[in-house]
Amino acid sequence: MTRTIHLSLDINGRRHELDVEPRVTLLDALREELALTGTKKGCDQGQCGACTCHVDGKRVLSCLTLAAQVEGRQITTIEGIAAENGDLHPVQAAFIENDAFQCGYCTPGQIMSAVACIREGHAGSDEEIREYMSGNLCRCGAYNSIVAAVREAAEAVR
Amino acid sequence: MTIMETRKHGDASDGMIGGRQTRFEGQLKVTGAATYALEYPVEGLAHAVLVQSTIPAGQVVSIDTSKALEAPGVLLVLTPEDDLGLTTASDWHGNRPENQPYHPLPREVRFNGESIATVIAETREQAVEAAKLLDIVYAEAPSVASLDDPNAGEGKAVDMLNVAWGDAEAALAAAPVMIEAEYSTPREYHVAMEPHGLTVKWDGDQLTVWEPSQWSHGMARSYAEWFAIPYENVRLISPFIGGGFGSKGAALAYSAVAAFAARKLGRPVKLAVTRPQNFTSYGGRAATRQTIRLGATEDGVLQAIVHRGASETSTYADWPEQTGAATSILYKVENFSSQHRIVPVNTVTPGALRGPGKNPSAYGIECAMDELAWKLGMDPLDLRLKNYADRDYQSGKPWSTRRLREALMEGAEAFGWSKRSHQPRSMREGRTLIGWGIGCGTFPVIQAPSEAMIRILGNGRVEVVSGAIDMGQGTYTILAQTAADVFGVPVSQVDVKLGDSRLPGSAIAGGSMLAGSILGAVHKAATAARDELIGLALSDANSPLRDTGANTLTFGDGRISVSRGEGPSLTLPELMAALGRDELEIRRNTLPDGATAQEHHQAWTTMAKVRGPTMGDYSMHSWCAHFAEVRVDEDFGTVRVSRMVSAFDCGRLYNPRLVESQWRGGIIMGIGQALLEEGLVDQRNGRMMNSNVGDYLVPTNSDIPDIQVISVGVPDFNASALGGKGVGEVGIVGVAPAIANAVFHATGKRVRDLPITLEKLI
Repeated sequence: MTRTIHLSLDINGRRHELDVEPRVTLLDALREELALTGTKKGCDQGQCGACTCHVDGKRVLSCLTLAAQVEGRQITTIEGIAAENGDLHPVQAAFIENDAFQCGYCTPGQIMSAVACIREGHAGSDEEIREYMSGNLCRCGAYNSIVAAVREAAEAVR
Repeated sequence: MTIMETRKHGDASDGMIGGRQTRFEGQLKVTGAATYALEYPVEGLAHAVLVQSTIPAGQVVSIDTSKALEAPGVLLVLTPEDDLGLTTASDWHGNRPENQPYHPLPREVRFNGESIATVIAETREQAVEAAKLLDIVYAEAPSVASLDDPNAGEGKAVDMLNVAWGDAEAALAAAPVMIEAEYSTPREYHVAMEPHGLTVKWDGDQLTVWEPSQWSHGMARSYAEWFAIPYENVRLISPFIGGGFGSKGAALAYSAVAAFAARKLGRPVKLAVTRPQNFTSYGGRAATRQTIRLGATEDGVLQAIVHRGASETSTYADWPEQTGAATSILYKVENFSSQHRIVPVNTVTPGALRGPGKNPSAYGIECAMDELAWKLGMDPLDLRLKNYADRDYQSGKPWSTRRLREALMEGAEAFGWSKRSHQPRSMREGRTLIGWGIGCGTFPVIQAPSEAMIRILGNGRVEVVSGAIDMGQGTYTILAQTAADVFGVPVSQVDVKLGDSRLPGSAIAGGSMLAGSILGAVHKAATAARDELIGLALSDANSPLRDTGANTLTFGDGRISVSRGEGPSLTLPELMAALGRDELEIRRNTLPDGATAQEHHQAWTTMAKVRGPTMGDYSMHSWCAHFAEVRVDEDFGTVRVSRMVSAFDCGRLYNPRLVESQWRGGIIMGIGQALLEEGLVDQRNGRMMNSNVGDYLVPTNSDIPDIQVISVGVPDFNASALGGKGVGEVGIVGVAPAIANAVFHATGKRVRDLPITLEKLI
């Protein structure tokens, strides 16, 4: 298969034009074609959550999403959640303050999940945060701090 | 005894050594701007994918590559037919066979999942597609699937691991109380969130490798030796690494293949090892089994420990997972015997995974102590305190520092251990059985020489430069804190450059040896730079501080001033300007004075200069005591860890915030080991059956309760220049037995093979 298709993707409020094979995932399009490497590849099979992005505000696994599926949708990645002036999103700031990561590789996915988790109204208790953040594996074991960061950011948003 | 001063977070002292400074590189990691190995924008990349064997042993008779080569975008296919012309590199200790050819894509298959071919194409998708078109013919040979294979046999003794003193068998026979039990652990895996892989590029005979690395200099050496090029020609870049846990300390077969392909094609190559391929591209923790016999008096004084252990290794290399490593030093015992065997099977050679040796060893002895306590009718806490080791009985040396007693006492207090009803099945809430267990852990202090450079720039910025690695332990942060402390400047005035084999050499980020080793070098370099600045400031004709009559100067609050507080005071940039200096650069190492260039090279690129815990006058180790509460569903046998308190003696903590994170991380990996993690081997063909993170289960957020961690350590200046002992490895050691003991307490059922899954309880 050598056929390529032309895609226009709206990512972080900017239009990106690219020519890729139809089988290219959103994750690979971001990382390999668009130099948006903040979104991480941890398993490439929908099991670890490191590739979590937002499509129209909802969290999706970009490794299980074809780039061609998201034309015309609003895609948000970790590079797109801080303010224009560079101020960190409250979740990003809470992750630093609570030391909610070590190696940093799962972190963009955790943060994208956390932003959505709060928006979904699933950050009402530690128990609920744990459950709704369980699609994102962290092998360094920052879970206690991730819960604390999501709780703190949720309170800040309220 | 000096108790470490605790500092409150939120004031200026956060940036000093021992302060709770937030993670130095945090902003880069939360914004996605930290660049990992496969993310470098290298022009003209070709993409390589690995093809792994589907038989456990035998020969690759042929690989028909014609269809793959015809597939769109394919540039190159490498198989065992291709002589890559490589030479075997040294092992970790620097030993190297002479002129031995190296075949990273071997014709002889030694385990299921061994890399035997590589397809390189314009895109990864094309390479993946073409890899399916290889027609591989094997001649399969008999194989041994795992330690559980009836044909595995007893393996071979590892004589250097025989440890004995007193007369263990006689003392055991004479002991009024005896217990005997066999414990086993399965294959366990690192599962770092960043899969392995590399980007590699040649410029003539200069090689640049972007690869996640726990040891930039050591891995660079392998490339130089494989390709017979000068060490200086290799540059390995690894400023960020997405977890390692022991898996990223060596350049591996696929690394050589990618580098060869890049040279052959004359263009850079990226090779991403897929998540399933990660399970067989390097070894996890070996499966182990061990039998422990304990003899004691009726009032619980240990008389003898007899330990016999075995672990899986591969058919082509000996890797002992030392099941006796903690057995010998946790308790006072006058009669001791430990032996270990390795059993070759058709697997990739196992490797170091968090707490190697100590981890399965502590699992055995700490479960056995719990069994003994039950047999004696004693509180397991009392039994441990009663047999407290007053010195290291194996080496005969005194401890440097050992606050395990304090860890047990303070942990018990925080946990509420005194409220424990010792009878199994005596604590419950409705249909939920509750159990409390203890497990102790330890890890040796390992020291290695390191080198660091300090650069003070005209604008007052302080640079700390080292080839050391930060894989999340906090190297960036504590190096910045050390420099900030020495120069009396805020951390925001410090830059840290790490993770590059062209930078000064460093201990490996492994074996919990990095922080103590590299901080020694950084502190030495920074102090030397400060002394040089003082000398210049007091002698240079243009220095406003010259005529103060002072014989030294003070660095603090961002200013350099006369110690008694009189006279002028300058900031770093003001002083540099007065001295007319753009830059002041000092490089120091912790090798003995007069070390040769060859010794330098050896120190950074091999383990030859590494010092073990008893090579000096003392026996030096980190210690911990874990207290676990489990809740077991009486009907379904499901186990949940509902509470944990762990107390640690890791000496002085350079940054408690980051240390607490590492401790919790180790504990969480231990919870996974106790309840979830198990590499499953198909006994018919030696194939991994769960080589993905949906089937090889690691803990998720909802598996983990709040974990309370407590520091009971005091500075240990025998262990390191700045008083710290190792932090990263010890956290996991002792967790699994604490949980196993808690499960026994909850249910009255003793599960002796990890993980403790529900079917073993019903």
